[in-house]
Amino acid sequence: MGLKDAIKKATFFEILQGMSVTGKYAASKKVTIEYPKEKSIPFPRFRGSQALITNPETGELNCDACHLCETICPSQCITIESSEAADGTKSLDEFTIDMSRCIFCGFCEEVCPRAAIVMTANYELCTYDKRDFILTKEWLIANQVHAHKELKAR
Amino acid sequence: MTQFIFLIIKAAIIFFFCVGLAAMLIWGERKFAGWMQSRVGPNYAGPAGVLQTFGDLAKLIRKEDVIPDTVDRLVFRMAPYILWVPAAVTMALIPFGPMDARIFSWSTDLVVARFDAGIVLFLAMGSLAVYGIVFAGWSSNSKWSLMGALRSGAQMISYELSMGLSLVGVMILAGSMNFVTIVDYQAGAFWHWNFIPQIVGFMIFFIASIAELNRTPFDLPEAEQELVAGFMTEYTGMRWGIFMFSEYVNMIVMSAIMATLFFGGWQAPFESWNVVPGFVWLIIKMMFFIFMYMWIRWTVPRYRYNQLMDIGWKVMFPLALANLAITALIVTVK
Repeated sequence: MGLKDAIKKATFFEILQGMSVTGKYAASKKVTIEYPKEKSIPFPRFRGSQALITNPETGELNCDACHLCETICPSQCITIESSEAADGTKSLDEFTIDMSRCIFCGFCEEVCPRAAIVMTANYELCTYDKRDFILTKEWLIANQVHAHKELKAR
Repeated sequence: MTQFIFLIIKAAIIFFFCVGLAAMLIWGERKFAGWMQSRVGPNYAGPAGVLQTFGDLAKLIRKEDVIPDTVDRLVFRMAPYILWVPAAVTMALIPFGPMDARIFSWSTDLVVARFDAGIVLFLAMGSLAVYGIVFAGWSSNSKWSLMGALRSGAQMISYELSMGLSLVGVMILAGSMNFVTIVDYQAGAFWHWNFIPQIVGFMIFFIASIAELNRTPFDLPEAEQELVAGFMTEYTGMRWGIFMFSEYVNMIVMSAIMATLFFGGWQAPFESWNVVPGFVWLIIKMMFFIFMYMWIRWTVPRYRYNQLMDIGWKVMFPLALANLAITALIVTVK
């Protein structure tokens, strides 16, 4: 142990250095987000629960009932029931997502040719009842208020 | 007779002051720890969370008091109180203001016990407090508790000696072991205080007191990462709460002792500032040391076991001896 070390130890140099760091942090801005009172804003590509987008002018669903999302879904949580009219146009009867199986991969959004299904910023999906995890068509349409701004503008 | 009534009142005030302040300190420490880690700390119970400790208290009292089958029941139940009593006794020695102070038409000493061998009593009580930890660890009949108690005992041996020796310098300067006389010796402005001639003694005492309080960086007896909770492992509910509480009461006592012995006790830093009552100055000084304890706790990581022994025996003990010899020499030559 040299003289330099001895002086460093006698003056508590390194401990004071550490204390200055903690002191600085004590005075700095806090990073806590107090969750129920204030909510964090997810990033623009955050994948939360899905939503079905309606056309803002006509109020009709963008969905053509092509079943692509149902096909690509790796956890097979999407179930679609559709009917075909006499002129050949398909329409959506039922669209359910089993949230307890969804892995939030975003494939359904990627594969959709009409941008009818999107992943939203809604991350508050807790529930007291397992049955609430079965998201109905109505729930998904209502959920489009949580859609990312960039997607809403499309 | 009036003196006896005053004694009871003073003792009650000091006791409730300690308990109330300890409750506030538990909240303060959690808040401060939060700030240092960029968190906000407890902030739900009451304004800024000041009622947090009382909420915890209500929770701890309502909890089941589990006493494991294999413990030594009598000692297990006794241990928390053994830790508590020495701290309260030491607090009686601290003078909170001048002697023969006038309160309305009566006069009384603003100290509970004007005891001539104050420092010796304080050191003896400090050693007794270790029994609480050792009893708790031994009676729990658990390996974690036992390891914690053994560490506490071994730790005590390495710091107690230098702690006692560091106070001898103050004793020599003041020519007394009475806390009242030591404060009187430091009368006048702050350059008369003991920490200037006794800076080495003060640093040794401060470091040793951290070890005595079992706080980080010397919290080996309750090292969470190694020993679960050390000697407190088997305790639950309010019994554990008493351990927690007595730790903070001990902290108050230690800071009061340091303020009294090295920083002029209830004396103001300048003589003209003595219009502010003495106990305010004492509390300000105590708060400063408590703040330092907290700051150090949340900054410095725990020392290893052998490092504590090294610091105790190879650094602090020789320094305390040298400090004592030099102080004695200077006082004799004068």
